[in-house]
Amino acid sequence: MTSSSLRSLAGTLVAIAAVATLPWWVADQYQLHLAALIAVYWVLICGLNLVVGFSGQLSIGHVGLLAIGAYGFAILAGRYEWSPYLSLLACGAIGGLCGFLLGLPSLRLPGFYFAMATMAFALIVAELTLALGDFTGGGVGLAVPPFPEPFASPEGFYLLAAGAAILITWLTRNVAQSQWGRGLIAIRDNPVAAESVGVPVFRMKLLVFVVSGMSAGLAGALFGSLQSYITPDTFVFELGLFFFVCIIIGGRGSIYGPLFGTIVLTALPEMVAPLAKLGNLFYGLALLAVVLLVPEGIGRVFEVLSARLRPRKLEHGAVEPDARRLAELLREERSR
Amino acid sequence: MGFRTRSWLAALALVASMPAWAQSTIKIGWLSSLTGPLSSAAIAENKGVEFAVEEINAAGGVLGHKLELVTRDTAGDPTKAVSFAQQLVFSEKVHFVIGPVNSGETLATVPIVARAGIPNLIIGTIDELVDAKKYPRAFRAINTNRQWIEAANKYAIEVLKKNKVAIIGDTSGYGTSSAKTATELLAKAGIKPVFSTLVDPNKTDLTDEMNKARAAGADVIMPWSAATGLLGRLINARGDMGWNVPIVGHPSVMAPAIRKLINKPQYWENTFAAGPVSTTFRADGKLPERTQALVDKLRPRLGGGEIDYLFWWVALGYDTVKIVEHMVKTAGGTDPAAIQKAFETTRELKGAYATYSWTPEDRNGFPDLDITVNVANTLKDGSFKAAPR
Amino acid sequence: MIVLVSGLAAGALFAATALAYNVMFSTSKVLSVTTGHIAMLGGVFGAYVITGLGLSPWLGLLAAILVGGLFGYLTDVIAIRRVVSRSDEHLWLLSTLALATIVQQGVGLWWGTEPRPFPRLIPQDFSAGLADQKYWLPIIATGLLAIGLELFYRRTLYGKLFVAMSEDTFAARARGIETDRIRALSYVIAGVIGAVAGFAAGQLTFAFFALGLTLTLNGFIALAVGGLGSNVGALVGGAALGLLNAFSANAIGGEYQNTVSVGLLMAVLLLKPEGLFGARNVRPV
Repeated sequence: MTSSSLRSLAGTLVAIAAVATLPWWVADQYQLHLAALIAVYWVLICGLNLVVGFSGQLSIGHVGLLAIGAYGFAILAGRYEWSPYLSLLACGAIGGLCGFLLGLPSLRLPGFYFAMATMAFALIVAELTLALGDFTGGGVGLAVPPFPEPFASPEGFYLLAAGAAILITWLTRNVAQSQWGRGLIAIRDNPVAAESVGVPVFRMKLLVFVVSGMSAGLAGALFGSLQSYITPDTFVFELGLFFFVCIIIGGRGSIYGPLFGTIVLTALPEMVAPLAKLGNLFYGLALLAVVLLVPEGIGRVFEVLSARLRPRKLEHGAVEPDARRLAELLREERSR
Repeated sequence: MGFRTRSWLAALALVASMPAWAQSTIKIGWLSSLTGPLSSAAIAENKGVEFAVEEINAAGGVLGHKLELVTRDTAGDPTKAVSFAQQLVFSEKVHFVIGPVNSGETLATVPIVARAGIPNLIIGTIDELVDAKKYPRAFRAINTNRQWIEAANKYAIEVLKKNKVAIIGDTSGYGTSSAKTATELLAKAGIKPVFSTLVDPNKTDLTDEMNKARAAGADVIMPWSAATGLLGRLINARGDMGWNVPIVGHPSVMAPAIRKLINKPQYWENTFAAGPVSTTFRADGKLPERTQALVDKLRPRLGGGEIDYLFWWVALGYDTVKIVEHMVKTAGGTDPAAIQKAFETTRELKGAYATYSWTPEDRNGFPDLDITVNVANTLKDGSFKAAPR
Repeated sequence: MIVLVSGLAAGALFAATALAYNVMFSTSKVLSVTTGHIAMLGGVFGAYVITGLGLSPWLGLLAAILVGGLFGYLTDVIAIRRVVSRSDEHLWLLSTLALATIVQQGVGLWWGTEPRPFPRLIPQDFSAGLADQKYWLPIIATGLLAIGLELFYRRTLYGKLFVAMSEDTFAARARGIETDRIRALSYVIAGVIGAVAGFAAGQLTFAFFALGLTLTLNGFIALAVGGLGSNVGALVGGAALGLLNAFSANAIGGEYQNTVSVGLLMAVLLLKPEGLFGARNVRPV
């Protein structure tokens, strides 16, 4: 094991330990709720990141899949009294199925068409939750049951959500670092070239989209349970925009950038009252600033900074070829 | 009397155990959608809330404690409302929560505030919001949707003698559920609507819907929607068609915003809506004393001229804080259990908006008697004339 | 009959939005998310000048044109110019989406989130029924805009430059055409088209901050159905969508409005991906 991979392993362990012990060092239940909300959002955003950040398909309508997961959970676990765990898995499956059905026609479309199709999907889901009142409670909405012990308390629920978030982070990290992730990035940067070197472009895009649908379905179930009550007003189009903005601001093609984006964009408006007043205007301004100034995202700024700081330490040791960074640099050179 | 003494003792014990209470404030959390698409009611209510807090504090506070208002703007978003509700009860440790304003948000926050055991004043109208068993400390100050709809139905059927009803709702959450309740309540009176439809609140033209209602033989139009744009188009469509059919429905058909949206002032004739007695001019042309007193006190703060809000929103906001004051005085402190008891034993508390009574079984404080039907185009100073009977 | 006329009137607004999409697309190959918001600005500023400031409808129209043109220009400067030269085709989607959000929320904060009335432009009694100006103003305005645009393309030098640029930007630049200036001009023109249409349809829509996003979607559906790049297609697509919306609301109620519109889009894209009047020129490499 090289020293750098040891260091990243240690970092990962520290991060997991920090996330797992959070309930014992946050100030109060409200902050714990925020942390749980971030974890739930992250379950969705992490899957969406594969679509937006890696394969480059700009979906602004994942809030529709979130709504399907949440309503699915409320109906299965609440009305039909399925086991919450079984319902949770079923919501993941339903989310994946809906992702498949949405992706099958729309992923063939060019960028803007695809973005509009996902937006229309979110609007249709919102319309149907209202229109199918006997099933979804219509405008009044539905109560969503909590998870049983040990996940019923706020601490327990947070740990469940955090566990799901860590699991999905681990999964997407593996995907991103595999041959697969490279293939996805190739699709994002140049689909024609990717196809010509034998990347099954459409199949990969669809598969990733289905995965994101599953994570959105899971996130929806958790989100519903966290909110404890859902109405169509909960799943506004702006929420879908928010997920999307988190990824772009954090940085496409990275995992920790969007994580950072999710944490900051969820927590900031809650902490800083003037920002809350601006509401979605703030997200618009942040998105514009990032696109114009650092299109690679905030995460990239940190990468550059840490890359500048690091060589000084290396002077003391033997110089090791860092194949991964080299490859990355080469890739960036190419995409420029 | 025995209860009084006991709660006083409990309060004394509380004071003894926490000397800080002597200097501390009574914190009121106020979840208000001051921005966003549903802000007009919240902005008006906020005027009342802020004024009441200032007035009470200027008079020395409650039991020697100042009130501290902790306002959070939810922008009408249930997710934000849930977060802010958690913040208020767990971080800010407020003693009361007022709001949120919209039913969609309130449905989501009530269980959270209930879990924390904090008294919650409900100002949303959807019937499902209060439940003495599930949410024992949630008490409603506003009327229910059912009360609005029943009053309007009764007026259409018994006074106007119309029974060919056309129901028009909008496709928002509030609109669909209200239209459904309206249909159910009409069915109880043995009436099946001749025409019923839901319309996108942004639909540009309602002439078609009105034509269909007319073709179906409707003799009264009952819109259940809070979207003023939609209601403005509805009234315009009726006027442009030259169809003199009465409109009886949601209070939003008499909102000040409608006056500006309609093509001609006379289009607003023959339009009625359910509204509270407190902002209804009596036969002698005067408002009820308690309302008039509040109007006089508030007028300088609302710009000095004619009041441009539905005044009962302001009165409701004012009352919520006065209710808090009353409950703290009755309970002798802010202990939630004592506050709950104080609510449950409150009979005929006279406010500017209504006369409230709560019981151990009923969390709805607004009496049926305090609702009436108004004539929309008599809007003056945010108040109305009563509909002719 | 009323369904037909009101459907056509709403369709005219969709068609004008689709025209604005086309004009911007021709010079920059960009489909801007802000397209619907231009019409919203036209309506809001028209109402502000006429009702708020008490000026004449002509000045209101002038204000709408100025604001629309300025917004079009700013869209180019802020969201397009810096971005379009980069190879990443997604950046313009992000920058225009950001700008659209900013404009919508900004107008919401300034103008308020309730729909506000739009004044009567021509003295006419409200009992005119089908002949009411709120129906025929947007239809006539869109017709005039389409004819004007066609004349501009055919008869003027700048129009011909547009066409040249839409065929091949690089070749145009190689021939010494200042593509940056032409593109900026096209955005100004698109802004004027959208704002005039939004102004003319103001009595139908009211001055309402959230109109933009709806129009961006519906204008796009009209465009995709009619065929990207074709102005005749934009008109036909807009009319078809407006009529479909009106008749479906008439037949099954308003609950499924978006579902029906998107159903139309999907049907056309599956059967004829380039749209009814679109040219099939897929050139991914």
